[in-house]
Order: sequence, then C-alpha cells, then structure tokens
Amino acid sequence: MKTKIAAIGEHDIMLIFKAIGAEVFPVADYRQAAPKIKEASKQGFGIIFITETIAAELDETIRSYESEFLPSIVVIPGLGKSNKYATKKLRQAIIKAMGIDIMPEK
Amino acid sequence: MLANVNATRMELLRLKRRLDLAKRGHKLLKDKQDELMRQLRNMIDEVKDSRLTIEREFQSILRNFIMAKAKMGPGQTEEALYMPTKKISVTVEEKNLMSVKVPVYKREVEGNIIPYGYLNTSGSMDQALISFDKFLEQLLNLAEKEKTVQLLADEIQETRRRVNALEYKLIPEFEKNIKYISMKLEENEMANTVRLMKLKDIVRSH
Repeated sequence: MKTKIAAIGEHDIMLIFKAIGAEVFPVADYRQAAPKIKEASKQGFGIIFITETIAAELDETIRSYESEFLPSIVVIPGLGKSNKYATKKLRQAIIKAMGIDIMPEK
Repeated sequence: MLANVNATRMELLRLKRRLDLAKRGHKLLKDKQDELMRQLRNMIDEVKDSRLTIEREFQSILRNFIMAKAKMGPGQTEEALYMPTKKISVTVEEKNLMSVKVPVYKREVEGNIIPYGYLNTSGSMDQALISFDKFLEQLLNLAEKEKTVQLLADEIQETRRRVNALEYKLIPEFEKNIKYISMKLEENEMANTVRLMKLKDIVRSH
C-alpha cells in the first residue's frame, strides 16, 4: 500500500520538509493545526510529522489516532528547547502496558 | 449467580466443560501477554535511544537550515524551494507481531533533493538539505517503531484485561458453582440412601 508524508508545523520548519517532497501544512498556532490533522489523515497521509510545540497542545487529537494502524503521527522537535513531549508519550504507553513506569530516567 | 444454578448432573457437566475451556483460554492469553511484554521491553530502549539521537540531530540540521535561510533571505529561499523536484512516497506493509498488526515503512524516492540551480543559493543550504535527506531514513524508522510501541501497548492492555477477567472472575465462579452442585448432588444421594435404609427397616419389622 502506498502512502504519502505530511508535515504540520511552523512555517520555517515546513520549508525543509517541502524540499524533500512531503506535503506541508504550515500553521501559525495549534488552533489551526487540529483540523489540519483530521484533513491529512482523511486524505490518506500515512505519516504525519508534527512539531513538538503544536503537538503538546493537541494531545487529545493525537491520542485518538494512537490505536489506529494509520496514520502514524510523529512528533519532531521544533526550534528552541525541547518540551519532552515525545518521551512523555512513550512513558505513557509503557505505563499503559505494564501498569508501572519502567523507563529509566536519562 | 449461585441462586440460579440448577443442581443437576447436566449442569455439572456443562460447567466442568466450560471451566476447562476457560482455563485453557487463560493459559493461552497469559502466554500471549508475556510474549507481548517481552517484545515491548525489547523495543523501549531502542525507541528511546533513537528518539534522543534524532531530536539532537534534527535540531542541528534545523539550525543549519535556518541559518542558511537567513543568509539567502526568506524570499529567495521560498522561491528556491517552491517547486521541489524530489518526490517521496512510502509503501506501508503490515507486519504481524503476535497478532498485532504493525506497519513497516519503506520509502521510495525520485528526483534530486536540491531543486534549484546553484547560482543564487548558498552552499550551506545545500548541506542542510542533503543532511536532512539522509536523516529522513532514521525519521521513518522512528515513526515505525513508535507506532509499534503504541499498538503493542494497546494490545497488552486489552489482553491483560481479558486475562484478569478470566483469572479473577470467571474461573473462580465456575469453581464455586461446580463445588456447590457436587455437594448438592452428594446430599441428595445421601438422603436417598437413608430413605432406602429406613424403608428396609420398616419392611423387615413386619
């Protein structure tokens, strides 16, 4: 099955994704991004890259796609300091599965 | 439930059969859960490490890109990247991991990463783009792994709920009912014997 790549995030970061041939959805803030995620998943994008700053605000939307086979939403770090959203997600998944947190702090 | 149990041999047989089935199912599900846990545990460290390296690398690539963009000017950059020649598409295949369907991504690329002529653009832009192009492979790998972890976690949660329902609810209930019925049947049997003995006594005394 063929699928495409989409990227959602700040304008500056989107340019580099555009260069590699991904479809880009530049947004100014997270309120614009929520409908973009829905749109992208409806259009059949299998992989959606989303910047950390936006993802952190859209936790609920992202969570609703977690148990789906497609799309796979990948959080990428933005400019500036990382807010550890992706590691937090990983930790949540482990707690869900094991009942306890076994991920070592690093 | 105890009130609704028919103390008959039929019911006893039926319950025993169901208990056997439940025990077998419980064992299978437990095995499945253990295996899923093992798979997940193997993946966690891997995902975490690759996530950390990717975050580091991506930030440096991004910084280079932004610097290059600043050197060239925003208008020029957008113009240069306006029509990307590179086309990327990804094929998704399903992999069956303990009955959990997980995606495997394979990328197919066409065209060159640099869509512009070299005349008006800076060399650092070329470098940023080329390094990002290489980096993409890792990014896809991470996407695949993170999805797998999420799907596995979901499946484990579901399996655990089933295992617990069998272990702590269904199986004890069956055992309780079986005990109740067999005791009831024994009691009936005893009552019958006593009645017969009594009858025999009466008959003999005549």
